[in-house]
Amino acid sequence: MINKALLTRILEKALSTGADFAEVYVERTKENNIAMIDSKVDSITDQLISGVGMRIFSGTRCVTASCTSMDEDALLSCAGRMADALEGVPAYQTVHLQERLFGDIHPIRMVPQDASLKTKTDLLKEGYFAAKNYHPDISQVRANLLDVDHQILVANSDGLYARDRQIRTRMVVNAFASKGGEKQSGSCSPGRRMGLEMFDLISPKSIGEKAARQALTMLSAGYIKAGRMPVAIESGFGGVIFHEACGHSLEAASVAPGQSQFCGKLGQQIANSKLTALDDGTIPNAWGSMNIDDEGTPARKKVLIENGILKSYMVDKLNGRRMGMESTGSGRRQSYLFDPTSRMTNTFIANGPDRNEDIISSIEYGLYAKAMGGGSVNPVTGAFNFAVNEGYIIRNGKICEPVRGASLIGKGSEILMDIDMIGNNLETAQGMCGASSGSIPTEVGQPLIRVASITVGGR
Amino acid sequence: MKYTEFKERVMAAAASRGLTEYELYGEEKENISVETLNHEISAFSSGTVAGACFRCVCQGKLGYASTELYTDSEARRVVEAAMENACALETEGEAFLHEPGDCYRKMEQAQVTEPSASQLKELAMKIEEAAYGADPRIVDGSQSSADFRRNRIFLSNSKGLDLTHENAYTAAYSFPIAREGGEMFSGFDSKAGDYAALDPVSIAQKGVEDAVSQIGASAVPTGTYDVMFSSHMTAAMLQVYVNIFSAQAAQKGMSLLAGKEGEMTAAPCVTLTDDPFCQESLVKMPFDGEGVATVRKDVVKNGRLITLLYNLATAHKAGVASTGNGVKAGYAAPVSIQPYNFYLEKGGGGTREEMYEHLGNGIYITELNGMHAGANPVTGDFSLASAGFLIENGKKSKPVRNFTVSGNFYQLLKDIALVGDDWELRPPMRGGACFGGPSFIVRGMSIGGK
Repeated sequence: MINKALLTRILEKALSTGADFAEVYVERTKENNIAMIDSKVDSITDQLISGVGMRIFSGTRCVTASCTSMDEDALLSCAGRMADALEGVPAYQTVHLQERLFGDIHPIRMVPQDASLKTKTDLLKEGYFAAKNYHPDISQVRANLLDVDHQILVANSDGLYARDRQIRTRMVVNAFASKGGEKQSGSCSPGRRMGLEMFDLISPKSIGEKAARQALTMLSAGYIKAGRMPVAIESGFGGVIFHEACGHSLEAASVAPGQSQFCGKLGQQIANSKLTALDDGTIPNAWGSMNIDDEGTPARKKVLIENGILKSYMVDKLNGRRMGMESTGSGRRQSYLFDPTSRMTNTFIANGPDRNEDIISSIEYGLYAKAMGGGSVNPVTGAFNFAVNEGYIIRNGKICEPVRGASLIGKGSEILMDIDMIGNNLETAQGMCGASSGSIPTEVGQPLIRVASITVGGR
Repeated sequence: MKYTEFKERVMAAAASRGLTEYELYGEEKENISVETLNHEISAFSSGTVAGACFRCVCQGKLGYASTELYTDSEARRVVEAAMENACALETEGEAFLHEPGDCYRKMEQAQVTEPSASQLKELAMKIEEAAYGADPRIVDGSQSSADFRRNRIFLSNSKGLDLTHENAYTAAYSFPIAREGGEMFSGFDSKAGDYAALDPVSIAQKGVEDAVSQIGASAVPTGTYDVMFSSHMTAAMLQVYVNIFSAQAAQKGMSLLAGKEGEMTAAPCVTLTDDPFCQESLVKMPFDGEGVATVRKDVVKNGRLITLLYNLATAHKAGVASTGNGVKAGYAAPVSIQPYNFYLEKGGGGTREEMYEHLGNGIYITELNGMHAGANPVTGDFSLASAGFLIENGKKSKPVRNFTVSGNFYQLLKDIALVGDDWELRPPMRGGACFGGPSFIVRGMSIGGK
């Protein structure tokens, strides 16, 4: 990508106005996306992303620059402009880079780049037609097979020189069911930090069928009536509730500037005592895993909340300076064009003490949220929202008819106390999380949980 | 190497592979941005990004490959990859490269002042200080930012088309945080335009007003209410549902407007326009991502669907002309369909205050959250976390939050009872389209609250 001698010169140039830290991030990413619609392979995009992102710190001030060109002159002048913008005093500092090998705990058996287009389109077609042929009411299917080969190099003025190669594969199937002028959708989109061997674990057929089944279920569903009620949220993507309601507010990006509802709450009870939650970037081949983060810090397993007590934030280097804390291996960025900040990796609620059947039978009237959609949060106020893609009414402790159009809204600090039953079927699911440092792969997860009372939007 | 040199290498590689129809689409983006925190400049960043996408017709199909690395080997790779990708496609009869000959509208050279780094810093600091000064409840953690963006596009093809266009603007943002009674309230305002025309004090004041006006907000009881959506929310709703006006979505069975051209699909007070040359907009485009000249058009006129938005392939399929809406979301993206400046026209309902009077009693919605999740762009269903104000006897009263508003966008278009005249176009999102309109009133919407 860029040799050590040039990296050293870039870092020294970046430090030339008195910055106390400099970093260079070099990226080369190959992305492929095959799309099917109308039962045909409809588009293929094939992109090489290549560029350099640089940063310098002076205390808690930060100057960054990015550059697509890999030419030596362009890179040095980019570093020079960054140093000038610091408005510091001339200084001469030397840098000695020392390579560090952190190892790779994510074996890849079938690198997608090396597979033929036919191999990939065959996999996609299997998923596509499993949805399309599932039922006559499935009127349209859209499916994508994405693979990413993301190579990064991080060098900094502390002498760090480290590389990582992150390969990810994902299949997304969206099925649409139509009947009598009505249309409903269903989706399934598993991904792994793996190559095409991912489909040995999860068959494309199961992905297509799951999407189609959801669309059909929703086609026969009525609308839920809005109101406050108890809600049982199923495992897997249900974990998006913790991601939105709490995860983002535990990122140093919100905590350091005082923009989080959980500022200054370390050691305090912020959640029901049954709740333990983790952020673990070290799970082999999991969607949100990495060997090193985008600042070159090895990924870590962190207990965020233990039995309701706040134990740790997720910290990157710059916000760590603001908070007087070490990086927790949470510095992430979509690409060289984004400035890294603290982000989640694989974040989930651990198994709890309750039996799943007891959770459902405890609810006289409420909502069973079997499949969640995405959501968002305002970390300042803690106000969050998310969509229920597949919901059912619970009546007298039994799961009854499906309902559509539901959303859940609330406040992070309140819902964490209101999660009062936690089951034991922990499962995870994959998503793309968007924030200031771009769109990155993150995994969410939880077992079945009960929220004692929450506002359900509907009509 | 530079783009022009890379272009020559790619075109030469394409010709030498025997291709006769091909295109190179290049993009260059520059940005400078400044961010403040706690009375200081906390971050300064600058960047340049450039990338190019090669497309070619091979076996009657259109293949793509793109790169950010301008080297000889990449010039050859994109040609090979695009050919291979074309062959793997199964959609025939959709490969079109545009011929020269369109009459492109001359764009008046708008005077764009490129601010220096220190001018941008000054702008952001002025917003920061004005925000602190606007209200004693504004606390540390409040931020402001300012950025300058320039975007250039180059499009050349084997048929002789050779076009370039540039957009540039400065934008400034205020993100104040107010604290009262142990609770925090976040505000936001932004304005984009020429650097010299931006007023930092007004941006700060509006941001602060947004934050402090929510202090003391309560929940509303679940029920049915008459609702007024603010002009910003008009823009937000149009942005989420713009795809239902795409001919691509219609032809693929993903829009319920398919086959409805010429029919009443909205209330008579609804006129929706896409104007690539909109006077108030910072993003004006004389040609689309396929090189077709753009035009202003009413998509919905007095409730009647006049036209969907077309690119070359969908227009060919429908037997009509492209509306010049074949847009690339980025240089590497496939050509999809997007408007430029898409807005609801004024409807005669008067100023914001006059609209409150028309509403009488109900909820004025000024914030909708989680649009990417709670609004389904295909089915039209939405159930969105909201915030706003109660309107009592025609007057704006106390703030309300933590409730949902639910409905279906197709039905909402038909149910719009009155459109105001407080028209506004929002700044472009990530360099994409601009959305806007005035506030509007819908009677009897479903609200989920306490």
